[in-house]
Amino acid sequence: MKKVASKWMAAGMALLLAVAAGCSQAQPSGTDGTSSNTGTTTPASSDKKETVTLRFATWDTDQMLKIQQDIAKQFEQKNPGVKVQVEAYADGFDQKLVAAFGAKNPPDVMYMWDFPTYNASLEPLDEYVKKDPSVAIDDFYQGLLNYNRFDGKLFGLPAGFSTRVVFYNKKLFNEANVPLPTDNWTWDDFKSAAKQLTVRDKKQYGFAVRSEPDTYDLQQFVWSNGSSFISPDGKAIEGYMNSKETAEALQIFSDLAKDKSALLVGGKNQQSGNDLFKAGKLAMYDNGVWSLESYKKANVDFGTVVMPQFPGKPGKGVIATSSVSIAKDSKNKELAWEFLKFFVSSDAIKMRTSDLPVRISVVQEKKLDQDPLYAPFYKTLEQSTDTPAFLLNPHWNEINRNLSAAVNAIMMGQNAEELLNKAVKDSQKFLK
Amino acid sequence: MTVQPKKLKGRAFLTPYLFILPWILGFLAFTLGPMLFSLVMSFFDWPVVGEVTFVGLDNYVNMFTDDPLFWQSLWVTIKFALLFVPLNLFIALFLAMMLNQKVRGSGFFRTVFYLPSVISGVALAMIWAWVYDGEYGIFNYLLSLVGITGPNWLNDTSWALVAMVIASLWGQGSMVLIFLAGLKSIPESLYEAASIDGAGAVQKFFRITLPMVSPTILFNLIMTIISAFQQLSLALLLTGGGPLQSTYFYAMFAYDNAFKYFKMGYASANSWFMFVIILVLTFLVFKTSGKWVYYEGDNRRGGEEA
Repeated sequence: MKKVASKWMAAGMALLLAVAAGCSQAQPSGTDGTSSNTGTTTPASSDKKETVTLRFATWDTDQMLKIQQDIAKQFEQKNPGVKVQVEAYADGFDQKLVAAFGAKNPPDVMYMWDFPTYNASLEPLDEYVKKDPSVAIDDFYQGLLNYNRFDGKLFGLPAGFSTRVVFYNKKLFNEANVPLPTDNWTWDDFKSAAKQLTVRDKKQYGFAVRSEPDTYDLQQFVWSNGSSFISPDGKAIEGYMNSKETAEALQIFSDLAKDKSALLVGGKNQQSGNDLFKAGKLAMYDNGVWSLESYKKANVDFGTVVMPQFPGKPGKGVIATSSVSIAKDSKNKELAWEFLKFFVSSDAIKMRTSDLPVRISVVQEKKLDQDPLYAPFYKTLEQSTDTPAFLLNPHWNEINRNLSAAVNAIMMGQNAEELLNKAVKDSQKFLK
Repeated sequence: MTVQPKKLKGRAFLTPYLFILPWILGFLAFTLGPMLFSLVMSFFDWPVVGEVTFVGLDNYVNMFTDDPLFWQSLWVTIKFALLFVPLNLFIALFLAMMLNQKVRGSGFFRTVFYLPSVISGVALAMIWAWVYDGEYGIFNYLLSLVGITGPNWLNDTSWALVAMVIASLWGQGSMVLIFLAGLKSIPESLYEAASIDGAGAVQKFFRITLPMVSPTILFNLIMTIISAFQQLSLALLLTGGGPLQSTYFYAMFAYDNAFKYFKMGYASANSWFMFVIILVLTFLVFKTSGKWVYYEGDNRRGGEEA
């Protein structure tokens, strides 16, 4: 018999917090975190006998994790006496991180993206960047840095990223005599291609629509249609989340599923668009760079292209970033900064082959922005100038619950405008 | 005449307690302690990171007055329980009776039916995801062989919960085992006597098997009700509560509040309400059990017969 998992876990976690809090006080406190050294000296080098342990938390697994362990090892070689403890929290990243912050015993450096939730516990990096020109802040894409700012302060530096593009199966396009998509295709082109590429008898589909998409990813379609989920100042959703343009953008996907030119794929561990694309059963799929290698391994003859546009409106993109931040409670801030700086240095960025380089110089050196497979990701990055909703309002989490419910119902074929109006009505209380 | 047990003194008194001390310590540290702690938390706004503030009964009041998800998840759980509990008991008893037959290879089948209980929940969910797939799944393939076009099980609001029920029925090996033990304890002589009196199979079942196994039914009923209300992992792994919250179980509601939104106080309140529901249901089952559960050697019953 299963226990009341939630209750036990809630209580167990609270107990862990208490225990961890006790432990953290007993720990020796490395080098003094408040010293105002400039970043040019490594505190560790002066401390030869004792090894200093630096904790680094990541949400990655498998190949990505291996790369980060390699980066950590290189840092250890360059800084004798330093041990980098890579803590892989995987799917439980947020739970473990929140618990660690709550217990005042956080990792020194960690992967980060949710700056609204964690910014109060993170070290602002503006001073470090100003004092330490070797980080070469101008070498990062400006669009990526925007995603690392909250309340005007810089709380993280990007280590890797992906934008979303359409992957398409060239063989299926050729078989159906459909012209391959181009950089300036429209949603009408997309829809007619999806329709022609769907062959019900062969269980082949033009596109796959997620029945429970992350509203975060949908933002770029809403932006591209000239609207947004929330006003630029983050204070209003009426007229934004439920605008005609928002409804229209979301309706595209629901319509595709309704007329069966797209397959509705489930969340979680159900049959994913990814598997179908690899099996050659899916002609088009929107995704980040993460699956590119596995598509290659599956021997799919595929290309990438930017998302379709709404006629007469500029295309917009949304970014998924893996940034790195320093904990405010870190006892080793100078060393943490050294590690963070190394983690986003050109050398380390080049080692990260599972997502996209964040440094302009690395991209130019590898000519990625000219590679037909990778260029659409960077073209979309140039179009990623809008700020995602969660960075604009501290209560977005709660608002998003209502929006998600509406979006899921829209994907299942219900009326978009009605549902969005309801989501706005239900969410108004969180704006006050 | 009753014999008073001799009072143990000194070390002799202590020894048994020392033996169970590890369990007691574990119980205090990992069960009772956290439970009481969560009761305390339920009266606070407890965001893990940030200020902890006392809010009195606000969490409980919010739950009932201001959270549509609370009602939705409760309703889903009740619907699930109404389907799952009777089906589970019926099928488990049926399987146990099948396995109780004296046929060659019954040991093999007992192993086979128990096997799914050994597989971890995650692996089981993975298998079901593949079985239920609307387009390429084995379930719909089998249905198509008899001319039925199956639904997209996990993406269909009217079928997703049914799919959860069917998948949950799979992990009942331990319940079958308990029933089997109950069946085994029925003395053969009763059936023999009934045969001599000319009773048929149906009569034997209703007059002998069912009453004799009723204490086991009571136990399994209570355990099934508890497990139905605590249903979480399958939906968490398969559907994430969707589509349209049609499989959003109460336990997932509490889980999300705790570990997705980090409202520990609110989640504790959710959990304690669940505790109360299960307590009340168990109490009701016990209350009515006197009417239908037969204990051998029970004087009340014996008196009635005379």
